Amino acid sequence: MTSEVALTVNGAAPRRLAVPDSERLLDTLRWRLGLKGTKEGCRTGDCGACTVLVDGETTLSCLTLTHEVQDRAVTTVEGIAEDPEGRRVLAAFAAEDALQCGYCTPGFVVSLTGIRKELGASAPDSAVIEALQGNLCRCTGYLAIVRAVARIGNGNP
Amino acid sequence: MTRSDAALKLRGGAEYGIDLEAPGMVHAVLVPAPVAAGALRSVDLAAARRAPGVVAAIGPADLAALLPHGGDPDRPVFPSTRILYRNQPVAAVAAETLAEARAAARLVRVDVEATPPLVDIEDRYPDWPTGLASDAPGVVAHVHARHGNLDAAFASAEFVHREVYRTSGIEHVALEPHACLAEVRDGHWRVRTTTQTPFGAREDAAEILGIPAESLEVEGTWVGGGFGSKGAAFLEPYALVLAAASGRPVRLAFGYRDEFFQGRSTLPAVIRLETSVRDGTITGRRVRLLLDTGSSLPGRDFATGYAIGFLLGPYRIPAFEVEGYAIQTNKPPFGPHRAPFAPQCVFAIDSHTDGLARRLGVDPVEFRLRHVWQAGDRTAFGQEVGPFGAIAGLERARTTVAEWRRTLPPGTGIGVGVGFWSTSTGAGGEVRLRLTPAELVIEQAEHEIGSGSIVRGLVAVAERLFGLPTERLRVVTTSTARDPYDSGVFGSRTVAALGRAIEAAGTAMLARLAERAKAKGTATLTVQDGKLAVGIGARSIPLSELLSAEELRDGLVVEGRHYGRSGAIDPSRVVEGSFYAYTDFTAAVHVAAVTVDRETGSVKVLRYAAFQDVGTTIDAGMFRGQVEGGVVMGLGSALTEETLWDPDGRMRNPGLLDYRIPTIAEVPEIEAVAIEGFPGAGPFGMKGLGEPPIIPVPAAVANAVADATGARVLELPLTPERVARALMVD
Repeated sequence: MTSEVALTVNGAAPRRLAVPDSERLLDTLRWRLGLKGTKEGCRTGDCGACTVLVDGETTLSCLTLTHEVQDRAVTTVEGIAEDPEGRRVLAAFAAEDALQCGYCTPGFVVSLTGIRKELGASAPDSAVIEALQGNLCRCTGYLAIVRAVARIGNGNP
Repeated sequence: MTRSDAALKLRGGAEYGIDLEAPGMVHAVLVPAPVAAGALRSVDLAAARRAPGVVAAIGPADLAALLPHGGDPDRPVFPSTRILYRNQPVAAVAAETLAEARAAARLVRVDVEATPPLVDIEDRYPDWPTGLASDAPGVVAHVHARHGNLDAAFASAEFVHREVYRTSGIEHVALEPHACLAEVRDGHWRVRTTTQTPFGAREDAAEILGIPAESLEVEGTWVGGGFGSKGAAFLEPYALVLAAASGRPVRLAFGYRDEFFQGRSTLPAVIRLETSVRDGTITGRRVRLLLDTGSSLPGRDFATGYAIGFLLGPYRIPAFEVEGYAIQTNKPPFGPHRAPFAPQCVFAIDSHTDGLARRLGVDPVEFRLRHVWQAGDRTAFGQEVGPFGAIAGLERARTTVAEWRRTLPPGTGIGVGVGFWSTSTGAGGEVRLRLTPAELVIEQAEHEIGSGSIVRGLVAVAERLFGLPTERLRVVTTSTARDPYDSGVFGSRTVAALGRAIEAAGTAMLARLAERAKAKGTATLTVQDGKLAVGIGARSIPLSELLSAEELRDGLVVEGRHYGRSGAIDPSRVVEGSFYAYTDFTAAVHVAAVTVDRETGSVKVLRYAAFQDVGTTIDAGMFRGQVEGGVVMGLGSALTEETLWDPDGRMRNPGLLDYRIPTIAEVPEIEAVAIEGFPGAGPFGMKGLGEPPIIPVPAAVANAVADATGARVLELPLTPERVARALMVD
């Protein structure tokens, strides 16, 4: 079945789209809205590359049906710089060169933004790192990302 | 130094193979073989062709009509007689939507007369440690070499240390799956793809398809992690042949299960080691290697003959005999995985060396220092060793071990691992420099795979060569139709080989400018009044005086190339097969500190230090990134990563939940130290860095576990089960 859904993405006015009931948010974002910054990885919720924010909460878009986000605010990596927390994360990742191939990077940026919102600015780095376990990276060995987390924690992005 | 690709990648703007689309595009799905071995009776595509949305459905019988010369008979796009591994693609379908293509693929009827597959090499050859004949069925390569009087060494030994090590198959797990977009129009074959080797993929795909390489154009994209998984041709021939059949642009993308099912990575091996000792010194070694090569292995001798070098070095061994057997099994093909098979060999040999030292009651670092190569020594194959930082690395490691013994809690195990590598500059690299008053452009064939070799490494080399600021330098890549030839991003060669090509082109360019200026002395490039200019002695000459009007617009173009040379081995030591000489000698000395839970066998890595022979550091950020990334990937191979196979050839863990790679919460503090002053094959004596940092990791961890527990784990990875079992045996 295909039915209409209203999508609010990156602060734009809601868009009405006819989308199959079984379609995943990941595919709608990438192929209907052209927002390919959200990366397709495992499609089983194990790698975190497809992470977006739904009403500010980190959400795996590969395990979310598009119809589930009706009337909710979706933020992808393309919109993350509109968020002050997102800007801090982007600056810290750039300063620490916390990326290599870049494929997991949008997922990390969005996850870390959501985690910081959820845990609050005073959360210890260890809690933030714990919460980032759902995002996999194969290039960096994670330590540059850990340094980016510490940089934000020190209030110095 | 912030990477020049950071802004784009952080905002999700980098386009990878999986992001490609084109007007009129259709979606492809490969049809997998239902069993691991058997005779292929028929592939019936009739129902698939009638299915909704299908634009092409092709199998073995369709290739002759689609490929002008029928393709490569030794490597057919689809098999026509025998199934070699489970999920081997036997047909392909393209349809208007991915869902339609999937539905149609399920309608393809593949009729196979199944036969029992060969999955476990030791099951098939239980007598391999002594009795296996080189012409036994399934042995697809045999290499054999010897030197010195091994019988005498063994006869006069105080003891011979004998062990058998086993290593597992692993997967690359680049986060980006393989994906490409192919089009065929008027005899012009074109594919956009995620590749470490645009020219390699072109040559390979053209050969498979039986078309001239010049009629195929390969255009790369940003690569979302390579590690060897994106070299040569893989998806491209399937997509191209579907594009030829359908007349439409064809998108083919793998899911993660496909990545595991199609393999092309390291497979299991068994290694038997016997080392004789007299007066605290190694006097001889006998090695037997049995390597699972899966269903095929291009360059079988290369894998066996090349791997064996790691089992005989980097230590002085006066007498040896070594034999390697490559065994064909019903698994996906063996393929290169970051420092192909070296971490596994070094796990075996450096665990063995460590155990030997402990058996002798000698400190393992001291024992290695007694035997390790230094410049002027000879490898087991008689090649003279060049500048090599192993002793310097071991001395640093000794200090680290002593410090950690003092500061870490009792019960902590500390282990050292020593690996070596060589920068593979032998394969060709060419660049085109284009000089305008605004900038110096480096045109070359490779795309950034993540290490920074293209976006940062080549720029860093050019900065240092020409003394120009970063913003005046730009690296440009287009496609195989325009770019100068390069053999690919592999073998830790990229910055070294292309850097030397930049050096060659730059030298020629400066000489030409000096000649045009009719000035004696060496020309340099400078920035004068906001524009690039030529400096000779005290003079500064604007480019407008030296370049033609056309050159001022399009640039002064000078090409440069580098084809490195390796040393030579002593052929009298080779009995059968191919063994290889090295271009340079790169040492990696690692120290790991672990705790082991004696009840569960669980290993936790507390601290880690990597002393990496670099020749010269080109960029400190890239150095750190390669060492940290390599070490953590190696920790996965050491502790958790292992492909598991059922006896019927089915992979048991084709996903990230069951094939566990390290997460951010499991990473120890890593001290990354560059050892400088032992020059290698690259510009300014730099050595390749992509692969060495992964090599000694499993050995260092295993030696730390042995130090903590007194038990030697003889099999990778060191899962809790294996560690607990080793503790029980002890």
